[in-house]
Amino acid sequence: MFGPKIKLDKALYQKVKEYSKLAGYSSIDEFVAHALEKEVAKLEDAESEEEIKKRLKGLGYIS
Amino acid sequence: MAFFKRIFSRPQPPPEVFVVSGLPRSGTSMMMKMLEAGGVPALTDGIRLADTDNPKGYYELEQIKDLAKQVDKSWLKDAAGHCVKVISELLIELPPFCRYRVIFMNRDLHEIIASQNRMLQRRGEEKADDDEAMIDLFSRHLGKIKDWLRRQSHFRILYLDYGGVLEDPPGNARQVKEFLGLDLDIELMAAVCDPALYRNRRSRLVSQ
Repeated sequence: MFGPKIKLDKALYQKVKEYSKLAGYSSIDEFVAHALEKEVAKLEDAESEEEIKKRLKGLGYIS
Repeated sequence: MAFFKRIFSRPQPPPEVFVVSGLPRSGTSMMMKMLEAGGVPALTDGIRLADTDNPKGYYELEQIKDLAKQVDKSWLKDAAGHCVKVISELLIELPPFCRYRVIFMNRDLHEIIASQNRMLQRRGEEKADDDEAMIDLFSRHLGKIKDWLRRQSHFRILYLDYGGVLEDPPGNARQVKEFLGLDLDIELMAAVCDPALYRNRRSRLVSQ
């Protein structure tokens, strides 16, 4: 709550506000933090993640 | 009056979902079966039917497989009090508006790869040429996921070993009961563990 702050332009903020509610998140902060967690995870070790995803799809565990 | 009620009322605790996780072929279906036998309702749609690879059923839910593509995940709130299977790759997709108690199944990576290779073959899918490279990839993946889990306040984790569960079903069932804080039937949980399904045991793989 008292951590670093990030600036967003108004239009993006409105969209984030709308979608965080639509997706069932309890606050905009919660939605943004989760979105960033997922994005960072995708970027870390991106190549091997793709290889793993390909295998998991082949096994029928993700669509 | 309504204003004061709103200010002073205690906030509702977030819904808590029981999750069984791990890599595919690490014993997640067996753990789901144990939980169901013990008295935890399992969230599954029965679309993926039992087969040679999982003769006792997959305990899967198509909605979970789609988790990465979903905008609205609020349906998870209705999963409170149920157990659901979520492979390790998809744990990060679970939204923080719920709390999760996760039973994470560990298994020797050589056994997992051997079992996955058989499954890929049966499904007519291509398998990677280099098993050691795949083991390295999965090992890094697990390290990353476990590190991420340590930083998440909405997750509580119990790590169990697949081979260990088969060696001592009642002891592991008791651990699960304690971790979930539920009145589970230990005997029924232990009874569904079938050592005959431990087909890709490391000792056998080495001697092959």
